[in-house]
Amino acid sequence: MFQNRAEALALALPAALFAAAVFIAPVVILLSDGFRAPGGGWTVSAYTEFFSSSLNQAVFLRTLKLGALVTIVAAIIGYAAAFAIVSLEPGKKGKVTGLIVLPLMISPVARTYAWIVILGRTGIVNQAFQALGISEAPLRILFSETAIFIGLLQLFLPLMIISLISALENMPKDAIPAARVLGANWFQVFWKVILPLTKEGVVIGGTLVFTGCLTAYITPAILGGSKVLMLETLLYQQVTVSNNFVAASVIALILIVMSFAANILLKRVATARNKTRIAR
Amino acid sequence: MMARNLFIPITLGLVITFLIGPFLIIVAASFSAGETLAFPPQGFSLRWIAKVFTVESFRDSFYMSMFLAIGGTLVALILGIPASYALSRYKLPGAETIRTIVSAPIIVPGIIVGLSLLRYIVVPFQVGITLALFLAHTALILPYAVRVVSASLGNLRSDIEEAAVLLGSSRLGAFFRVVLPNIRGGIMSAFILGFVTSFNQVPVSLFLSGPGVRTLPVDMIAYMEIVFDPSVAALSALLAFMSIGIVFIAERFLGFSRYV
Repeated sequence: MFQNRAEALALALPAALFAAAVFIAPVVILLSDGFRAPGGGWTVSAYTEFFSSSLNQAVFLRTLKLGALVTIVAAIIGYAAAFAIVSLEPGKKGKVTGLIVLPLMISPVARTYAWIVILGRTGIVNQAFQALGISEAPLRILFSETAIFIGLLQLFLPLMIISLISALENMPKDAIPAARVLGANWFQVFWKVILPLTKEGVVIGGTLVFTGCLTAYITPAILGGSKVLMLETLLYQQVTVSNNFVAASVIALILIVMSFAANILLKRVATARNKTRIAR
Repeated sequence: MMARNLFIPITLGLVITFLIGPFLIIVAASFSAGETLAFPPQGFSLRWIAKVFTVESFRDSFYMSMFLAIGGTLVALILGIPASYALSRYKLPGAETIRTIVSAPIIVPGIIVGLSLLRYIVVPFQVGITLALFLAHTALILPYAVRVVSASLGNLRSDIEEAAVLLGSSRLGAFFRVVLPNIRGGIMSAFILGFVTSFNQVPVSLFLSGPGVRTLPVDMIAYMEIVFDPSVAALSALLAFMSIGIVFIAERFLGFSRYV
């Protein structure tokens, strides 16, 4: 450890000042806009107004609902997948993990675009449904909550799986056989042994997935269209269509508060037991 | 026991199909000979892949995205390496505050970063869109640069440079001759992570677009809202292979995943 304080500040300050000037100051000003009263002074009327609109309430609740739903489903699939991967032999394990991580390297635009081909009016799903006689006319799957749900799940599932793989690997090897020998069924093994021992992993993964869903723009924009909005697409619409910067500021603060809350939770759990390495 | 033996391949098969399948469909659709995006592709041709290279806006926005990803990452590293060094090697009052400020852009949704830059930097200071995009992408990459370089510095024993200083090297000389060569892998990894992050980034750049100035992903979204031909699929496939190639090479030669 070097002690020279001036030298340390000279090294660290350019980066900090840059982030403060380019990023923190404009964002803080933007957030303060939502509290400015028209004649000067401060007010929360923009917030009460925002939440009094039933459209805005619906978008807010939809964002929470989709975020929670994607997180829960990702956790369920994630446990199954991570469990399967951990029980593979080492060589295969690396390859399969690579395949799981691979989509993270592909542009979200490309990943979301693919769902248009799959879920569209003449897409694969509708072709299959009609060929099998499940439906006569093409179903409208695109531009719905279902489409957004599928897109978000595909986008963020790898983050959950990776978090759970490292959690499962840190679990004592003989915990499961011990519980089985003592007569626990698989449900009890999961609920009483695996879940408590991998709590941090699922919380870290869950936080990544939830904040990811909250702040995803491309997926709701492409798969939800202009009718099925989430907070991010509502913000974009408020700015570009309605020119309503106050509402944009309100939505921005809601998004920031929600993702900060999730991140604080993440930090709590991560520091509670400092052993698990955070992947992202 | 039979059930368990089937559980692993079925689960992994389904999950990998769900994660990778859509991408393979995009690749297949980009070889279509038909006029609209469809799967299974109608016939086989390279026309859409060829078309990608003739769309002028794609070319311009590709250069813009390349410039932002490379330039932004370089500046983020120039700011981030000294900061990471100060944070890991010096007793610095307020180190936690500095770390929080520098890594804040990762927590705040990109769309908000873009909007606030537009309203409070671009408009009042008459900053050009290109410069604004550059600032935004640099701020966005900075947290990744600091995190990866810090991790790399953490793996390097600090008594090596202390020894160099004791043996008469200047602090600066010790940094360039002892520390820098040892964290080269970490810096390269930070560069690749920054590049991929910046190149694929959409929300930050959404509001920061002007006449003829756009990043590639934003341009792709704008294009597909108007034209529904397979050229966006072809471009997506090409870009995906580019990113995968870069990361694969990085993993092969640098052990990229150690730092990320």
